[in-house]
Amino acid sequence: MAIPIAWSLCFACSQEKETETEPVVPPPIQITPFTVDPAEGVIRRLTQSQYKNTIRDIFGPEIVIAGSLEPDFAVSGLLTVGASQSTISSWGVEQYERISYKLAEQILSNEGIRASLVPCTNSANFDEQCVKTFITDLGLLLWRRPVSNDELSELIALAENATNVLGDIDGGLAYPLASMLQSPNFLFRVELGRAEGTYNDFEMAQRLSFFLWNTTPDAKLLQAASDGLLSTDAGLEAQIDRMLVSEKAKEGVANFFIEWFELERLDDMVKDPNIFVHFNSELGDNAKEETLRVIEDHIFAQDADYRDLFTRTETYINRRLAALYEVRAPAKEGFAKFSFQRSHGRRGIIGHTSLLSLHSHAVASSATLRGKFIRQTLLCGVVPPPPVNVDTALPEPSGTAITLRQRINEHSQNPTCSFCHLMVDPIGLGLENFDGIGRFRTKEGGVTIDPSGTLDKVYFKDAWELAEVIRNHPQLPSCFVKNIYQYATGNVASKGELGQINALTQMFQNGQFKVKSLIKDIAMSEGFRKVKEASK
Amino acid sequence: MKYKLNRRTLLKGTLGGTALSFGLPPLDLFFNSNGNAYANGDALPKRFGIFYWGNGNLPEKWNPVDQGENWTPSEQLAPLADVKDKLAVITGTAVKIGNTVPHHSGTAGILSGAPLEAISTDDFIYRAPTIDQIIANEIGGETRFRSIEVCVQKNPGVSQSGPNQPKPPEWSPKALFDRIFSDGFQLPGDDPIIDPRLSLRRSVLDAVSTDITRLKQRVGSADRERLDKHFEGIRDLERRLQKLEEDPPNLEACAFPMTPLDEYPKIDGRLPMQEVSRAMADILAMALACDQTRVFSNSFSFPVNNVLYDGLPAGHHRLTHDEQGDQPLVNSIVKLIMAELNYFLKTLGSVQEGDTTLLDNCAVLCTSDVSFGRLHQLDDFPIIIAGSAGGAIKSGFHYRSSSGENASHVCFSLARAMGLSISEFGLEAGLVNSGLSALDI
Repeated sequence: MAIPIAWSLCFACSQEKETETEPVVPPPIQITPFTVDPAEGVIRRLTQSQYKNTIRDIFGPEIVIAGSLEPDFAVSGLLTVGASQSTISSWGVEQYERISYKLAEQILSNEGIRASLVPCTNSANFDEQCVKTFITDLGLLLWRRPVSNDELSELIALAENATNVLGDIDGGLAYPLASMLQSPNFLFRVELGRAEGTYNDFEMAQRLSFFLWNTTPDAKLLQAASDGLLSTDAGLEAQIDRMLVSEKAKEGVANFFIEWFELERLDDMVKDPNIFVHFNSELGDNAKEETLRVIEDHIFAQDADYRDLFTRTETYINRRLAALYEVRAPAKEGFAKFSFQRSHGRRGIIGHTSLLSLHSHAVASSATLRGKFIRQTLLCGVVPPPPVNVDTALPEPSGTAITLRQRINEHSQNPTCSFCHLMVDPIGLGLENFDGIGRFRTKEGGVTIDPSGTLDKVYFKDAWELAEVIRNHPQLPSCFVKNIYQYATGNVASKGELGQINALTQMFQNGQFKVKSLIKDIAMSEGFRKVKEASK
Repeated sequence: MKYKLNRRTLLKGTLGGTALSFGLPPLDLFFNSNGNAYANGDALPKRFGIFYWGNGNLPEKWNPVDQGENWTPSEQLAPLADVKDKLAVITGTAVKIGNTVPHHSGTAGILSGAPLEAISTDDFIYRAPTIDQIIANEIGGETRFRSIEVCVQKNPGVSQSGPNQPKPPEWSPKALFDRIFSDGFQLPGDDPIIDPRLSLRRSVLDAVSTDITRLKQRVGSADRERLDKHFEGIRDLERRLQKLEEDPPNLEACAFPMTPLDEYPKIDGRLPMQEVSRAMADILAMALACDQTRVFSNSFSFPVNNVLYDGLPAGHHRLTHDEQGDQPLVNSIVKLIMAELNYFLKTLGSVQEGDTTLLDNCAVLCTSDVSFGRLHQLDDFPIIIAGSAGGAIKSGFHYRSSSGENASHVCFSLARAMGLSISEFGLEAGLVNSGLSALDI
């Protein structure tokens, strides 16, 4: 995608801006006209987190999912996009089945939950009206659309047969419930569109809900769909506004960053405790929490400029993280606000132990992995894989090459390697003041580390300055828009959507890079609402 | 070996002994007089498996110097000495498909014979199913589980039943145990389960199948394939439930394996690979002995894995690239993995089936993603076939291909040995239409 000229201007002026003055708001740029050639309608398997959130939100947090779910895989770096290609293996079928009966058992034996779903008391007699209401109401919640008459009578038949065999209604209800939970209508989000080339109201309800909340639509959203409101701009906007102020929106946005930054890898991160004495099994969890708290504060409490996520000094730490960062610990247990100073050497989320640890080896830091994260994930640069049949070993530390930079320099004499490594290593070397778990250091093997470098010809002295260079990089906003757009639509963007993404990027800039407005713009956009019939 | 022969099992042996009036020891009751088939004439089942580890070998320390039946184990194969006579060691063949995604191309090449579709650096799609799934598709219908996938290092596994259709492996020995031996499992001689809920569960699966069929009519062709997979899974589960209502297979060697620990926590950030591997091996052996499945894959570790092995200063993958000289630490890891393979194969070998062993009736393809990890090499690929699939392939030798034959020939031979009537295996540069003559009978 071409970068609008206005950006490079903006880029240049923010480079000069050194002192803290009122930010100059550039005049809004004209949105480039575009047409959308929309994506084909597909079915998307619920990701693990969508499945869990859905069960929690329909039945309550006390209901336990007893078993493993079909694993997700990422496409274009996002599990939600992978969900448009993943299927259900026979192992997965087995797990979903077992889980469905355990869920049914918990739901029907919990008096409060049962009473909210089943309009009759348990008895030996089959009560068709009661069962019909139970299936109709729950079916709408689980399948995110009304149950058809054929489907309804099949599910009632299951209940009747089971009631007769097992002797009471509660025994009987478990079977249509388990059936709905194993059905492709539950496990897949069916988003196929309608004749006029847009998603229908119920499809829109789930698209909004999984995008903004990463969970199933609530009753109000389903009601709006049922009233046909989601096909109108005003109705759609009203729901988006309502949803964005809900607590669930925080969880939804967090999930985007968890997927995009692969933060779930922190859950079972392995580091050699002999080398990193500050590593322990809770570090990954704490690190993830820090980053997610900062993102939430930035987007929701502050409604701040996305780019400032990379330079903000304010963070949230607990005592363990304070020890790692060698700063004053919070007075109380738990997380508290803290502001990094120039002397701490770090700022922005790139300075968090989460991202620094994830893009390191188990025993050492890695300029290549960190540089690749910045170049490829944050800036959408293309980094080709290493060629095959080349020796990728770095030289061991020696008398002349002790630090990682010195060893890489020796190594990058080889032109086969240097072409690609120059795209990433010089960026990553800017973070060499942080070891493999993100602890600050000035020396490696007794030699002073040189953390200076350039990113696309812009010089930085160290990680503190690198943060500013990333913040001002012209690709930073457009790359973010592309990723969150793909997350929202659940597809790899096609050529026919590039104009839409470009326009959204321009709107993002005009709106001072506010993430919540971007989310709303995406949810209102044609690319999110239009769909093409799938080729059969 | 830690099989728990509980009192129930022993008792059953005695009950089976009501036929002692024939004057045969109970053990032989199950087999015909040649000991190569069940007494009722059914042939002993053949089993196929994959034992896969990531990051390759060191060819110079792997390849034995002499060929033929009297080969001498090399340094890296020495840990397999206990089962040496049951191995076909194949060296010198090459994975011929393009090495476009370092490490993963090799895995796809050896197991599916097909190049990967590379989307980007980290995204790739298998274009064809892996050999175990091809075989499971043909022979898996006989047993409760069409196939079983396990791993030791928690990883996404290497079995694929088609594009974007990975088969997720069980990483917890306890979960594997429960899945096979708790949820409705019956020992030979047990009565079939009579529980009305089984047929209710099957009627639910029928309803779900109807939902799938209805949905299939509305979606595009790619989604139809995805729903077909879902449908196939439902059918597999129906069969599994049906099996519970039938007499369990009458297999003398079947017994409960030792119950594994609930968890195998990391020690100093390091997973106890050996303990997990052995727990998995014990359960898998009994799953085969009890004829719960005839196809399995064990992805011991993943390509590019950085498992921190005991006492080593860096992760496995990192060492393969960074360790200098002749890589003694990488060498020690390969030997450790071979020792675990040896434990598994020995366990299979200790299960008697007539006058053969379970190992004899298996063909286990033992392989990796590369040969020399440092250079991501795909020639001189590490391949061992353990067992002879009940005599359907040759065993007990080292063969070195002097012409760099296509490694796909090996999978072709294995598929034929398992009774498949395939005429080709692989795609493009990986395509072959004959077996490896060194293996073929």
